[in-house]
Amino acid sequence: MAAPVRILTAVPICDGHDSAINTINLEFIRHGIEVVYLGYHRYAQDIVRAAIQEDVRAIGISSYNGGHVEFFVEVVKQLRKRGADDIAVFGGGGGTITHDDQRVMQRRGVDKIFFAGTSLSEMVAFVHQRYGKAHPHNGRNGAPADMQLARKLTRIEDSYAKGKRPRRAAVKKSANTRVVGFTGPGGAGKTTLIDELVLRLLQRDAKSRIAILSHDPSVVGAGALLGDRATMINSQHDRVFMRSMATRGQAGGLSPATEDCLQLLAQSGFDYVIIETVGTGQEAMPFQSKLVDQTVLVMNPDYGARLQLQKIVMLDLADIVVVNKSDQERARTAMSEIERRLEQNHREQRLISTVAKRHRDEGVDKLCDLLTQPRAALKKGRVK
Amino acid sequence: MSKLGQVVEAVDKYNTFVEAEVRRARTDKKFGQQMVNRWKEIKAKIPVGRAPTGLPLPRLALPEIDEAGEITRYLLGDGLPGEFPFLNGAYREMYLEPMQTSAIETASLEKNSHGKKSKMGGSKNGAQPPQAEEPTRLFSGLMLAEDTNERFHFLGAHQRSKRLSTAFDGPTLYGIDSDADGVFGKIGEGGVAVDTVEDMVRLYDGFDLGSPDFSASMTISGPAPIIMAMYIAAAKRRFGSGIVPKLRGTIQADIFKEVQAQNETIFPVEASLRFLTDMMEFTTREMPRWYPVSISGYHIGEAGSTPVQQAAYTLSNGFAYAEMMAARGIPVDEFGPRLSFFLDCGLDVEYIALTRVSRRIWAIGMRDAFGAGHKAQMFKVHTQTSGRSLVAAEFKNNLTRTAAELMLSYMNGTNSCHSNSADEPFTTPSEEWIRLAAHGQAILLDESGIFKHTMNMLSGSPGMKAVERAVEAAILEEFREIERLGGVMGAVENRYQRSQIQAAAHRYEQQIYDGTRPIIALNKYRNERETMPEFELARTPRAKQQLQVDRLRKFKQKNAVKAEKALEKLAAVVETDENSFPALLEAAEVCSLGQISNRLQEVVGRFRPMV
Repeated sequence: MAAPVRILTAVPICDGHDSAINTINLEFIRHGIEVVYLGYHRYAQDIVRAAIQEDVRAIGISSYNGGHVEFFVEVVKQLRKRGADDIAVFGGGGGTITHDDQRVMQRRGVDKIFFAGTSLSEMVAFVHQRYGKAHPHNGRNGAPADMQLARKLTRIEDSYAKGKRPRRAAVKKSANTRVVGFTGPGGAGKTTLIDELVLRLLQRDAKSRIAILSHDPSVVGAGALLGDRATMINSQHDRVFMRSMATRGQAGGLSPATEDCLQLLAQSGFDYVIIETVGTGQEAMPFQSKLVDQTVLVMNPDYGARLQLQKIVMLDLADIVVVNKSDQERARTAMSEIERRLEQNHREQRLISTVAKRHRDEGVDKLCDLLTQPRAALKKGRVK
Repeated sequence: MSKLGQVVEAVDKYNTFVEAEVRRARTDKKFGQQMVNRWKEIKAKIPVGRAPTGLPLPRLALPEIDEAGEITRYLLGDGLPGEFPFLNGAYREMYLEPMQTSAIETASLEKNSHGKKSKMGGSKNGAQPPQAEEPTRLFSGLMLAEDTNERFHFLGAHQRSKRLSTAFDGPTLYGIDSDADGVFGKIGEGGVAVDTVEDMVRLYDGFDLGSPDFSASMTISGPAPIIMAMYIAAAKRRFGSGIVPKLRGTIQADIFKEVQAQNETIFPVEASLRFLTDMMEFTTREMPRWYPVSISGYHIGEAGSTPVQQAAYTLSNGFAYAEMMAARGIPVDEFGPRLSFFLDCGLDVEYIALTRVSRRIWAIGMRDAFGAGHKAQMFKVHTQTSGRSLVAAEFKNNLTRTAAELMLSYMNGTNSCHSNSADEPFTTPSEEWIRLAAHGQAILLDESGIFKHTMNMLSGSPGMKAVERAVEAAILEEFREIERLGGVMGAVENRYQRSQIQAAAHRYEQQIYDGTRPIIALNKYRNERETMPEFELARTPRAKQQLQVDRLRKFKQKNAVKAEKALEKLAAVVETDENSFPALLEAAEVCSLGQISNRLQEVVGRFRPMV
């Protein structure tokens, strides 16, 4: 089976019109397309960086607030500058983009403009036809490191999609790389928490580089909406390499290609590699990889009756348990119930309460402290 | 139970009360007779006017009922125009032409419209709109401040009262300066570029901001408190500090609908709400003629909600703002009359009665859940015809769509109205089509006899009643769902409103594609030979964009030292619980919009988009 087409969609800077793109995204993912959705009000440079890291075949831009000629052309220009001219740019803007505009835009490298009245099925067919062929993955010689890494990741994903398992190289983790796995039920706020953590990691060390491997489920129709980037405002940064992966049919919150991709990232010189699973259930133990140094379980205070806690396997395994959204009424009860539950395990586990959505939240600061402790502390049993 | 739960309870209770009174009127002879007598009295007092053809018509139409129960249901359940629960109108007389207007009086009105209006027909009990202005208010904003200013003068030339409505460009809406990286092409597109108090001075140049005939409306929410501060600073520069209490107008400032639908939020929700209430507290105390928030369903509707969702989210947002103001200890009768609404009017059948029902729910909720008096019970609303309903294919059809929507808006008793230009699917409206849009309103209100002789044209009709009941029940059901999610704030955090709106938008699109929702010339009676018209588009020339950047840089250079001081003071105040608006006012004198929003974001964080 061929790998699904991957594209990126976004709405330009100073434009919040996301109604059209939301509808189009849904249609795409129902027809086998993996869509990395960057959200609205996005700078050209964020779009280009993301497109390269995600190694998409094309960028779809939905613009309704004017300035589209400049914006589309700017995206094309920046792609070229970074050696990524094989990523196509297409888009539309209802009636706001005229035929004259289209001519100028196409002359300057935009692949295709859709006008008002185009049916959703026409757009789906266009994407499959035009961007469906396998990618050469040949980042130019001397291409930026981001792009080379991105294309290697695609090769791994694609060979799994074709049913071939690539030969695994021996695990050679870079000495200074810390790998942290985040999991937890949907709606617990994992993505927001990770993004706040990234902000702190970037601030604490002006040189640190971070990789994020984030997962979203593939849907019926085999596409996927990879939407974590849309809410991760701090992770759109030149020192952050982020890759969004669809689970492509695998249960447990990760993709068949995750382990290999993780290996590659772990030996690519990042200071931190963060993996985020999709929202998981009670039985999931997603991180069996030896590469993961620390696992974090993010919980919502609203997990139901205390008995439910007995069933959550990750509570036995996680190194750190975070109760996020602890501004909710039930948070105090949740903290004490989980604390008692962890006591049964008779091992060093840490419990932290956070409000990740709060600016400068102290709980997130504490979590960051735990994850930045020297490696020596990790090896000696567990973090105290 | 949140306040919204109390509102639902209040409406249910009121409906039960009305039915109990109906039964009482039928069983208690004395009470029944009282109601019948009151009805007769009301009818006897209705003045009769004449249409130009000579036909006599009552200025207020009432249903032909004479049975005590029915009379009670009408008077208590619907209320006369201008009376609780205001189903039929916020005021006793709207849109009606004056009773006896001689040519001489008309001439004097042109010269000095204010102060003469109390003579214009109507009852003496003050149940008339405070100022009989034209209800037309057209939205405008393009390129730089001086260009928009010119457009304002062009639009105002047709009107005796100056009611300006300002659209801002993208960078301004997001609190970004024109000289920031990556926004150059957006300067002056889709609205006017405003970076500093100097732009604000240019924008309203030549208008007397303190005149009772002038009002400014500013459509901006994310950075609204900053823009409000700039408006005040500009007014002070031109007219001195004495101007502040005289300023009249409205600023949108509706954060909830931004988070639910329009996506122009720049600070986290809690921080945005704090800056908003700081501003509202200030204007309520210092600017008695200002409407500090325009609680907007328009963008909810335009984002694709159903009409019922639009009304339900807008009303519940309104109750949430009222709750916040009440929590600051401001009496409901002080802030209540300063809340106003903004709704979308499209072509779906619900729009026949959507505003009528909204007015009723607001009145009952404010009276019974907030203890508000008469003025704070009134739901005052600006309506705009639906931009989303307009299509590019054979775009001249848009004139008909807009005309039908205008008709619906006025049937609902809107207090003011904007009619969209037919060329809106392509561009910022051009003068030719704006003129036609404005004329559409004049044809409906001045030329046609539909609205100028009789109030209450369709009130009490069986079709209208049927729609009213169905819409009210559906709105209350939405309220209950929001209440179950922990009130407006809880529902927002659960992305409830967003998901509902997105699902409705998706359904709408699909109905267009599968043809179950006919859109003429798009999916029905399509003209295959039609080519897209070529328009002279309102694009901002590069030279103008550069001019804006240069002016801004000069401003920043000139004020560099003062700006830093003002920003530091502002940041310090924001860290405390104090009202931040006075510090914002000082900052607006010497800082640019982007300088202020950046500094505030350092203190309170940035908004994290919801998808």
